[in-house]
Amino acid sequence: MIKDEMLAKRPISVLEKIEESLERLNQKIEVMIEIQKGGGQRSSVSLPDASLDVMTLLSMPDHLRKTAMAICRCDRATAEEIAGQTSRARAVESAYLNQLVIMGYLKKQRKGRKAYFYVERETQG
Amino acid sequence: MSKIIAVHSYKGGTGKTLLSLNLAATLAKNGKKVALFDLDFRAPSLFSILKAENVECWLNDYLNNTCDAEKILVDLSSRIPGNGKFFAGLANPATEAIRDMSAKDRKWEMRALGKLLALRETLLKNQKFDYLLFDTSPGLQYSSINAIVAADFVIVATTSDRSDVDGTKRMLAELYNLFEKKTGLVLNKVLDSSATAKKAEMSNKIKSVYQVPMLGIVPCFCEILRAEGNLIFVEDKPDHPFTKIVAEMVRKIENNEVN
Repeated sequence: MIKDEMLAKRPISVLEKIEESLERLNQKIEVMIEIQKGGGQRSSVSLPDASLDVMTLLSMPDHLRKTAMAICRCDRATAEEIAGQTSRARAVESAYLNQLVIMGYLKKQRKGRKAYFYVERETQG
Repeated sequence: MSKIIAVHSYKGGTGKTLLSLNLAATLAKNGKKVALFDLDFRAPSLFSILKAENVECWLNDYLNNTCDAEKILVDLSSRIPGNGKFFAGLANPATEAIRDMSAKDRKWEMRALGKLLALRETLLKNQKFDYLLFDTSPGLQYSSINAIVAADFVIVATTSDRSDVDGTKRMLAELYNLFEKKTGLVLNKVLDSSATAKKAEMSNKIKSVYQVPMLGIVPCFCEILRAEGNLIFVEDKPDHPFTKIVAEMVRKIENNEVN
C-alpha cells in the first residue's frame, strides 16, 4: 500500500532507481562476460584503484582499450561524450566504462541524472 | 591535423634527436611556434646539443608536478631566422635526476601521462603553440609510450639494420597499431648513394615491408657525423641536401600529406 503511494507520488525517482539497478546489473554481467572471455583467468579483473598506465592500456582487450584511451584524453566525461570520440553507441560505452570502474581503473561520480567517469590521478607528494 | 608529434624508434642511434631537433627548427623557420621536449630521461641529449643556459625548471620537474609547463620552456627563438618561435623543454642530465626517473612506479607514470596529455590544453590551446615535438628514448620505455599515447602522429626512425627492421615491424604491429596511432616512417643512414634517384622505388619497397606511409629517406651524410651534434644542422647548413629532405618532411606534416 505504502509502496503504491510512493509510486504515484514519485514516479521519476522510482524510474531512476530502476535505471540505476539495471545499470549495476549490466556492469556485473559485463565483468562476468569478460572473465569468461579470458578462459576463467582473472587477468583483466584488477584490484580497486589499479593504475591506468600505458602498460596496462597495452594489455587490455581492444574494446576496453579504445574506451580507456578516450577517457585518458579527457579530465572527466559521460558515456555520451566518450561515444562521440569512439563512434560507438552510448550504451556500449556505458557498459565498458562501468566495467573499467569495477576493474578499479576509473572512478564514477553522479551529478543529477548524469554519470561522470574519470581517471583518478591523486596529488603527488 | 597533427599538432603533437612523437619521434620514436626501436633501437638507439637511429637519429631520433637529429630528426626531432631539425624538424622543430624547420617548423620554427617556417614561422610556427614550436616546442621540442626531451623525453629521453635515461640519456638526455638536447641540453648538450642546444647548450642551454640558466635552465630554471626541467621537464622532470613538470612531470613531478613541481613546476608549470610554461616555466620549463627555454626560449631559443633567437637561434632561428624569421618570426617563428622555438622553445625547448629539457630533460635534467644530472646523474641523480636520471636515477630518480628510472625508479618511478606505475602510479607516477600514469600521472606523467596525464601531464603530457595536459600540454594540449596549456600549450596548444592557451599558449597558441602550433606544434609540440617529443624526442623519446628507444624501445618500450614508459616515457616513450606515454609520449606515443599523447601524440597525434608518431614518426618512426629506422635504419636498414636487420634487427632494427624486425624490431620496428614488431613495434608497428604491437604498439602503434594497438593505440591506433597515425605513423610515418623515416629510413635513416641509407648507404646507397643513388638513393635520391631510386626514391620512388625504395619508398614503395619500404611501404610493402612496414605497411605504413613513408615520411622520408635520409642518406648517410658524413657532414652530419662531422658536426658531432654541435649545431642545429638545418640552420647551420641551409643549402645541404639533408636540410632539403627535412624541409620536405615538414611540408608533408604541415599539409597533412603523410599517407
